Amino acid sequence: MPNAFLVVDDSKLHQKMYKLVFSQGALAGSTVHQATNGREGYALLAAHPELALVFLDLNMPEMNGLEFLERRHAEKLHPHIPIVLVTTEGTPEDEARGRAAGAWDYLRKPFRPADLERVVARAFEHAAKRSA
Amino acid sequence: MSGPPGQGADSLLRFADELERQAPATEALRPSPELHLVTFALDREEFGIPIEQVREVIRVGEITRVPQARPHVRGVTNLRGRVLAVVEIRTRMGLPAAEITPRSRVVVVGVHDRILGILVDGVSQVVKVPTETVAPAPEEVLSPGTDYITGVARWNSRLIMLLDLEKVLLLPD
Amino acid sequence: MDADDNAFSELIQDYIVECLPLAEQVGDAFVELERRWRDEDEGADLLEPLRGRLHTLKGNSAMMGLAPAQAVAHALEDVCALLRAEPARRSDEVAALLVGGSGLLIDLVRSAANGSKPEAAAEFVEQVRSLLDASPSASPRRRRGDRRVAERRGDAADSSSSVVRVDFRRLDAMLEVLGEGMIEQEAVAELYRRLPRKVRATDELSDLDRGLLALRKTLKRLEGILMETRLLPISSVFGRFPRLVRDLAQAENKPVRVVTAGGEIPLDKAILDRIGEPLMHLLTNAVVHGIESPEERARAQKPAEGTIDLRATSESGRVVIRITDDGGGLDDAKILAKARALGLESRAADPEQLRSLIFLPGFSTAEEVSALAGRGVGLDVVAHAIHELGGTIEVESRLGRGTSFTLNLPLTLAILRSLIVEVDRERYAVPISHVAATVRVEPDTMHEMNRKGVALWRGDLIHVCDGGTLLGTGVAPNGSRRFYIVISMGNRRRGILVDRLIGHQDIVVKSLDATVGRPDVVSGTTILGDGKVACILDAVRILDQRMSA
Repeated sequence: MPNAFLVVDDSKLHQKMYKLVFSQGALAGSTVHQATNGREGYALLAAHPELALVFLDLNMPEMNGLEFLERRHAEKLHPHIPIVLVTTEGTPEDEARGRAAGAWDYLRKPFRPADLERVVARAFEHAAKRSA
Repeated sequence: MSGPPGQGADSLLRFADELERQAPATEALRPSPELHLVTFALDREEFGIPIEQVREVIRVGEITRVPQARPHVRGVTNLRGRVLAVVEIRTRMGLPAAEITPRSRVVVVGVHDRILGILVDGVSQVVKVPTETVAPAPEEVLSPGTDYITGVARWNSRLIMLLDLEKVLLLPD
Repeated sequence: MDADDNAFSELIQDYIVECLPLAEQVGDAFVELERRWRDEDEGADLLEPLRGRLHTLKGNSAMMGLAPAQAVAHALEDVCALLRAEPARRSDEVAALLVGGSGLLIDLVRSAANGSKPEAAAEFVEQVRSLLDASPSASPRRRRGDRRVAERRGDAADSSSSVVRVDFRRLDAMLEVLGEGMIEQEAVAELYRRLPRKVRATDELSDLDRGLLALRKTLKRLEGILMETRLLPISSVFGRFPRLVRDLAQAENKPVRVVTAGGEIPLDKAILDRIGEPLMHLLTNAVVHGIESPEERARAQKPAEGTIDLRATSESGRVVIRITDDGGGLDDAKILAKARALGLESRAADPEQLRSLIFLPGFSTAEEVSALAGRGVGLDVVAHAIHELGGTIEVESRLGRGTSFTLNLPLTLAILRSLIVEVDRERYAVPISHVAATVRVEPDTMHEMNRKGVALWRGDLIHVCDGGTLLGTGVAPNGSRRFYIVISMGNRRRGILVDRLIGHQDIVVKSLDATVGRPDVVSGTTILGDGKVACILDAVRILDQRMSA
């Protein structure tokens, strides 16, 4: 079954990086939805309940990653879709804050394709466990 | 592997204990052999909610009506400074609205981090019901739109209808 | 991660396309900063947008394995952080360092495809390090993680200043807990009041009364202090406008400058967060439609550079923001023509009323569809945003001389001064900012027309609806209405019949739980002094719709 992902990041370069990873290896054939700010991203999340995973950049204009998570949490939008917070910050405290806001996992920049693949694999594992 | 329903609670409990002892190590992935429920009465019917979802049970204070609220929302009430929505579960089930009596209670529940109150006629008690005694709701109980009843526990010659709170709270707009 | 075996190396051109303009913008900003410093201007508003850009440059360079560019961007970020913490550190030397660093960054980005020489970058990083070493507040010896935590949202104590950064949500949480405390105090006071007089008069309890009063006063003071912590200076919103207007003006080929004043005036963060967009729309309109082209201005013997004056003042517990441009002003004739076309001329009795029509939907008199037309947002959207905040907006204009918009805003959203009314034994809070008047019902001023009540109020005929019907109390109108309140927003007015006027109260607004749904007539709830919940009337929504009652 083809997988659908959502990438919310204001950097076009990063969007391309994601697309590159999702076009190779095990993840080839995935559908990648893109948004360049939190607001757009939120609308896309609402429109695609079939998403397997959302990659959410922390630092964005108009609605940053934490605000996105808060709104999602408050409106209970598709709680079954895991959201991975992507950021350059890396202290355990930052991570805790992200998770408290509702991020399911945390991906640090800079990341390699392998890091991304690992996060996706973990998400699929988790989904499989839940439906068991 | 099911004991005849309606038999003494003791034999069922023993049976449930036996099951528990035989359960494999990956217990966490299987439902526990017992359901810990808070039961309450509505018009002579008895209902149960998992205790994990119940935060507290309070007496009914003033319930303020909210104009144009969704159907089955009786109103809001003050819970120690928090404005709590109170759902009228009776009307949700097609019964007429409750007349508040000294026995009426508001069961404060938490579902998905949302906290709200359910107006009930009276809270019976907290019970532990072996999972084995739960059967799918029989036809007579179900009517179109009662998908919020996930099952019926026959226990101690009582019929406790198990409520799926999420479905109950999925109120029509 | 090495650039050579980087998995993303094929994206190097994309990196350059994205990062080169960013690096150039950073360079421009530093040049401008140097110029400002020479004029004794701190240029604080320039530093804020740089944060995001340098951050992106740093992150992108890291992803591409370009360590020198990453290091330079990082070093520049550090210097900017230092300047934010210690504005007094600005100097010719620091300015030169910044300009030089940004030049280096531009070179590194441009030549990213050819592989970079790390020496120049390392040297620059060293220079920055020695600069920072000389400063007590930004020691580079701190772990990277520490600095990140201190910079972002969260709690952090800056060792060299007395300022603490607190997550806004904590303030809200504190206010909520305080609110609970006040309710509990009220409950205790109520219990005391219920004691028989004889018991209250005993020695043991006679001090209780005073104690409770003192407790209440203390809690109120704490509430005041907490409310103050939510206040931020308006400059946090004004700060980005000069640059945005400059970019806009360049796109329009019109020289325009923005002058701001009153940035130090504090406003509740919740309002600040929502005022930026409307203000930007008004500024955009001023640049695109207000200020004339340089040729027209020359003909009118005006200075070539258009000026937009953005000024905030504090007036009797409200904040007034005025946006004035020296452009062409509103053309009354065009507005009248549009009003006729929309069938609204009856509302245009005098020039003031005529001009306020521009806040209605569908009312744009701009003929040209420029590339920025999409950004010339209708004024009705702006007006609505202001009204939702409990504020008002008005316009003044002189043809050929300019236009001025005046926004009047409350200081805070969390606490609302309200009028409490009673309808069929239910109590409701009505925000004072939307109450124009309260009128005792005289039978002979009520006229029935089309089953809609109409009343003569201050010489105007206004619609009056029954409060019980509007709020669905389920009680048929039975002559119990003694008053009507007139709610107003901009041009619109409506009367609502009620039974009693209970009084004025400062109420704490609690938003409606999602479970309850989204009523049209109620915008939230509050807990009154006696502990009972009352709904807050949504005057804006009620006036928005054609409510028939």
